[in-house]
Amino acid sequence: MDHRSSPRAGASADTIPAMSLEIDRVTKRYGTTLALDRLEFAVPKGEIFGFLGANGAGKTTTMRICLGIINADAGEIRWEGTPAGDLPRRTWGYLPEERGLYPRLTVLDQLVYFASLYGERPEDARREARHWLARFRISDLADRRAEELSKGNQQKVQFVAAILHDPEVLLMDEPFTGLDPVNVGLLREAFVELRDTGRTIVFSTHQMELAESLCESVAIIDRGRLVAGGSVRSLKRAAGRRMVRLTLDDEAGAYWLGTLAGVTVIRSDARHTELELTEGLDPGTLLAQVVARGIQVTHFELADPTLEAIFIDRVGRAPDDAEATLAP
Amino acid sequence: MASRDALLPNAAIVARHEYADRVRSRPFVASTIILMVLAVGVALAPIALRYLERADPVRIAVVASDGELVAQAVGIVESVLNPTAVGDATVETARGYLVGAMPDRDTAERALDRDDIGGIIVIERLSDRQLAITFRTNDPGNGVRNQLVGFAAEAIGIIDWSRSLPPESQLGAFVTPQYAIEGTTVVSDGGGPVTPQQAASRSLLGVVFVFLLSMTVAIYGMWVATGVAVEKSSRVMELMVSAASPRQMLIGKVVGIGAAGLTQYLAIAVPALIVLAFQDRLAEAILGAAWAEGVTIVGLTPALLAGYGVFFLLGFTLFALLYAAIGAFVSRPDDLQTMSLPLSLVALVGYLPALLVLGGREAPWIIVASYLPPFSPFVMLARVMVGGVGPAGFAVAVAILMCSVVLVAIATIRVYTAGVLLYGQRPSLRAFIAAARQAP
Repeated sequence: MDHRSSPRAGASADTIPAMSLEIDRVTKRYGTTLALDRLEFAVPKGEIFGFLGANGAGKTTTMRICLGIINADAGEIRWEGTPAGDLPRRTWGYLPEERGLYPRLTVLDQLVYFASLYGERPEDARREARHWLARFRISDLADRRAEELSKGNQQKVQFVAAILHDPEVLLMDEPFTGLDPVNVGLLREAFVELRDTGRTIVFSTHQMELAESLCESVAIIDRGRLVAGGSVRSLKRAAGRRMVRLTLDDEAGAYWLGTLAGVTVIRSDARHTELELTEGLDPGTLLAQVVARGIQVTHFELADPTLEAIFIDRVGRAPDDAEATLAP
Repeated sequence: MASRDALLPNAAIVARHEYADRVRSRPFVASTIILMVLAVGVALAPIALRYLERADPVRIAVVASDGELVAQAVGIVESVLNPTAVGDATVETARGYLVGAMPDRDTAERALDRDDIGGIIVIERLSDRQLAITFRTNDPGNGVRNQLVGFAAEAIGIIDWSRSLPPESQLGAFVTPQYAIEGTTVVSDGGGPVTPQQAASRSLLGVVFVFLLSMTVAIYGMWVATGVAVEKSSRVMELMVSAASPRQMLIGKVVGIGAAGLTQYLAIAVPALIVLAFQDRLAEAILGAAWAEGVTIVGLTPALLAGYGVFFLLGFTLFALLYAAIGAFVSRPDDLQTMSLPLSLVALVGYLPALLVLGGREAPWIIVASYLPPFSPFVMLARVMVGGVGPAGFAVAVAILMCSVVLVAIATIRVYTAGVLLYGQRPSLRAFIAAARQAP
C-alpha cells in the first residue's frame, strides 16, 4: 500500500473508525542514516494495533518521537488532533524494548514511584499495583527486590508500570518477547481487557501469528517507510492471493505438493501445509489431485494469506531476519 | 516535550526517591556512623592530647655542685618551660614540665636511662668561674624545648652573674617577662584585626573546610555519576524518560543525592561542631582552667560558616552537574573512574591554590582563580577564611558561580538527554555532541 495515496492507513474499506493517533509524514535522520522517511499512518481509537517491521525498521524511533524522547526532523504526531508535544505525559503508557527496573527497589515501591511521576497518588497507585500484580499472578512478589525476579516476572512488572496510571494510549515495544506461553496468554488477556475499556494499544512484534490474532489493524514498515497498512482483513483481501491450508494423513509428508502445477508451498509444519495457488487453478482440482493419489485429507481450508506472508511479500524478507539497528 | 513539563512535582519525586534510596542503604548508615565518631574524635583530640600531657608532665632534672645555684636554676627553668598566661597572673599555670634538683649526676643519668626523666640540665663551674650548662636529653629533636632550655641557660647565667654584684645592687627575684605576638599582616575580619590565635585557627579551619569541600565534591559527585550510569546500564532509564523529562530527572537526582550527601555531612559535622562550640567548657571541666588555655579553636563565626555553606552548595551543584554529564556519557559504571579523572584533577587544581592562600600567598593569578569557576569554590573560600576578601568580592564570586551553575545545568541537561539513551559501545565525542544538539 502506498502510504502517500492512503493517509488513513488504519481505515478499513468497510468501516471508518475515528482515527485518534496520527503519524503524519514523520521524518527522522541519524547522521547520514534515514531512520523514518515521511512515515504516515493512523491508528483507530480503542483498537489493538500491530506495528510491524524488521529490526531497524524504525518502530522504536517512532514510539520515542510519540513520547517526546527524541524530536522528529519533520512531520507531526497527533492524538485526537492534539500534537503529541502538547499532551500530558500520562496520555501515554510505554513499555520499552530495553527492559529495566531498579534492581534494589521492591516491586511495589517502584510501581508506586513510576505511577507517582505520572501524577498518581501513592495510596491509589499502591492499590492499583496490587490489583495488577494479582492479575498477573505475582502478588507474592510485591515486596521482593526486582533483582530477585526472573526476567519474565520483571517484564510483567514493567508492563504494570506502563499501565498503572491508566493511559489513553499504550505503546508497547516487543511486549511478548521473552515470555513463556502462559505469560503470553496473560498479557493477551490484559490487552483485550484494556482495549475493551477504551484504551488504544499500539504494539510492535516479530510474532506475526500473535499480531494476526490480536490486531484489528496493522502498519508494516520497512526502512522507515510504510509498506502496508490498514485493517488486517482489508490487507488480506488486497493481497490478491489464494491460499489453501490442508492436512494430510501421509507419513511421507507433503513436500511433493510443490511439484504440482500452479502450486507453491508457503509453509509446512506438523499441523498443516500452506499452499498458494496460481490464478486459474481451482482449489477443487487440487483437492481431487491429492485424493487421486490415495492420500487421506483430514483438513482442507480455503484461506487468506497470513500476515507473515503479506509481510514477506511486501518487505521481501521474514520479520525476524536480523538487520543492523539504525536507531539508537 | 520538555517545554510542557514543569519542574515540580516530578523533580521533587525523583529527589525523594534518590534520597531515600541512598540514606536507607547499609553502606550509607555504616559510613555515616564511622565518620561521625571519627569527626567527634578529631574535635576532642586537642583536649585529649592536653589531658595526656597534663597527666604525664615531662620531668627535667637540674644537677649542679652549687646548692644555691641549683635552687635558682630550677626556678628559672620551671618558669621558662611553663609560661604564665599573658595578662592574667591569677590563672593557675599549666605545667607541662616538672623541674627539680637531683643530688648527683650519676643518679640523674640512671633516671634518664630509665626514661624516668626527659632530660638533665648539668651546670658546671669552670676554673674561670664561667658556667658550662649542658642539656642531656633522649629527645634532642624537640627544637622548641631545646630553644626554651637555651633561654633558661641564658637567664641562669645572668642570675649567677648578678650574685657577684655588690650587696646594695642586689635585684629582686627573677621573673620571666610577659611576652605577646602582635601580627601586622593581612588578617582582618570585616576591617577589624584578629588575634594571632584567631588567625591561626581560621587558617587551620580553612584547610579543613577546603579539604572537606574537595572531598564532598569528589565523593558525592561520584554518587551522582554512578546513579546516572547505573540507571542507564540497567535500562530503567527507558521507563523513566517516558515518565519524567530529562530536566526533572537530572535536577531531582542532583538535589536528592546532594541532600543525601548533606545529611551525611551534617550527621558528621554537627556533633563535631557541638564539641568545638563547647570545647572551652569541656577543656576547663576535664583539664582545669590552667590546662584549658590555648586548646580551643577560635575565630569560627556564623558568617564564616554561612560563607562555607554557600560555597558548599554552589560548588557541589556545579560539580554534581558535571559528574551527571559524565555518568550519561559512559556505557558502564566501570568506565566512570577513567572518565571522571579529568574532573577530579580540576577539583585538585582548585584545591592547591586554596592551600597557598591559607599559607599566606596571594598572587594575582590566585585572585583571578578565586573568581573563576570551577576553582572559585575552593580559592574564594580560602580567601574568605583568612580574611583576604571583602563582602563585595565575595558577592561577585558567588554571582559568577551562580551564573555558571545555570549555564552548566542547561548544557548538562542536553548532554544527559542525549546520553542516557545511547546504549552499547561508548559513542564517539562527535556522535555524542550531535545527539546532544538534537536533544529535545
